[in-house]
Amino acid sequence: MRAYGFYLLKRLMQFALVVFIGINVAYVITHATPIDPVEQTISAATAFGNTSPEAIDMMRSSLQDLYGTGGSALDQWLAFWGRILVGDFGPSLSAFPTPVATLISRALPWTAGLMLVSTLLAWGLGNLLGGLAGYYRRNRLLKFAGIIAMGIHPVPYYIVAFVLLILFGYVWPILPITGAYAQGLRPGFNLEFIGSVIRHSLLPALSLVLVGIGGWFMGMRSLVPTIMAEDYTVYAELGGVRKRRILGSYVMRNALAPQVTGLAMTLGAIFNGAIITEQVFGYPGLGSLLISAVHAGDYSLVIGVTTISIIAVSFAVLLVDLLYPLLDPRVQAR
Amino acid sequence: MTKALLELRDVSKTYAGGGLLSRRHVAAVSGVSFSLQAEQPEVFAIIGESGSGKSSLARMVLGLSAPSQGTILFRGQDVTALRSRRDRLAFMRQVQPILQNPFEAFNPLTRVDRYLYATARNLAGASDQAAAEAAADGALQQVGLSLAELRGRFPHELSGGQLQRAAIARALIPRPALLVADEPVSMIDASLRMTIVNLFRDLRERLRVSIIYITHDLATAYTISDRIVIMRHGEIVESGNAREVLAHPQHPYSIQLKESVLSIEGAWNKETALVSSGNREGSRL
Repeated sequence: MRAYGFYLLKRLMQFALVVFIGINVAYVITHATPIDPVEQTISAATAFGNTSPEAIDMMRSSLQDLYGTGGSALDQWLAFWGRILVGDFGPSLSAFPTPVATLISRALPWTAGLMLVSTLLAWGLGNLLGGLAGYYRRNRLLKFAGIIAMGIHPVPYYIVAFVLLILFGYVWPILPITGAYAQGLRPGFNLEFIGSVIRHSLLPALSLVLVGIGGWFMGMRSLVPTIMAEDYTVYAELGGVRKRRILGSYVMRNALAPQVTGLAMTLGAIFNGAIITEQVFGYPGLGSLLISAVHAGDYSLVIGVTTISIIAVSFAVLLVDLLYPLLDPRVQAR
Repeated sequence: MTKALLELRDVSKTYAGGGLLSRRHVAAVSGVSFSLQAEQPEVFAIIGESGSGKSSLARMVLGLSAPSQGTILFRGQDVTALRSRRDRLAFMRQVQPILQNPFEAFNPLTRVDRYLYATARNLAGASDQAAAEAAADGALQQVGLSLAELRGRFPHELSGGQLQRAAIARALIPRPALLVADEPVSMIDASLRMTIVNLFRDLRERLRVSIIYITHDLATAYTISDRIVIMRHGEIVESGNAREVLAHPQHPYSIQLKESVLSIEGAWNKETALVSSGNREGSRL
């Protein structure tokens, strides 16, 4: 247990380092752009009518305080980290004066909910069906499922998404094609709202699961025969272990370890996928927020969204790293 | 007349190979017949190079695959006809495998001792944990290990020799009448190899268990077996008493096999002789 404690500490430090470097890269890139939020705000505010130069100077110094752009580069950087550590990304430029943190906390649950559920669903279903298809090679139904999964997998995601939109929004219009819930509905814990959220999430979730499932299916199905050929599976068969148990605790469990690593990678990449999904289905998540922030040159918002995704990706990897020694005794917690 | 322990009658196995358009059938085993007596346990060696069909034969004897032609009878009962779980379990209690790779013998994610308990519960009728542990310990004692050494250990924490002995112990738990050992020492350190080979002979004496010992190694076969068959391209080319066959091989392949062993030994003897006489040039030979 002490070894695990040490391992935990080491991984946590790695996590902190990765996040620190990642955020700094985002900081440098956004600050290297010629966009100056202070001048932009001033030009927006003074576009109409006359403003006295003294008033503009006062405005400039108070805005510099607000955005943390006053002083030397080092001062700015230190001020930036001082604010980041307490979760303050400053006010948004495009939605001034709403704080970036508020915009993100509004969008994050939509992205996290949709992407987590559909990624886990695709992973679970793909692995289960792939494992069964690898184990029961002769089953017609599983063969058919394999053909479907492999047929959809190589199709580019946005094409699958558009086909679903056309099918269920136009040809057979039974599902809403945009938004996260019906317009005019008040968010709250009531059946009508929750039902609307689920109905609106069906198409984007379905598109993600359909495209995601094939990879897991194929990966798992090709892992199964190698494990079935291992001596311990033969021993188990001749040791009177029941077939279902062999599939569960021998075949699937041994094949799962590489699949869990794959899951971590995918969870990390959730935000890349979210951008296209949310654009196509008009979903009000982080992806949409990031796109609009980039278009508006709202760099505090860009840094905010990037920071969140850096933390999420590193956290997913950290979580898998922490779980792995518990999953596979051969991986020593060191 | 009493029934033979195991009887193979004209057993053949063909696999479909090649591509979709160039389907061809490869005969792994063709027309193999032999039988093992029930009264007197023996070590029966099947010798052949890789690809000679000896492992396919083992899989069929274990009931893991069905012969394409011919029948395999265990105590007069057709092995392929064992459909129900009860019949299969009854068969497994009598016939157990020992396979080649000790490092693959146990599920890497499960503790080795648990695997032994599961076997004791499934095949030796152990109804509770204490009985399962007693059965496991008893079998481990037979191979020179003890439960205390293995308790709570994962396969990667044990050596190849320990794992292979644990695999043998696992096979002994149901007190089988026949062990099918497929190249059981080929992946074991040479220093431990003879210990395990002798263990088989010893088990035959003490537990009165018959052993089908499959190997490509003429020397170990000669040491432990009572009878041998030599297989080539899926067919038995020579069979009989181990000492007689190896002393006076008849078939050209058997002669070639024996000569290859002798030539290695000859080279070895020559080399050591040259080195000991101080001729350094000679050691390059």
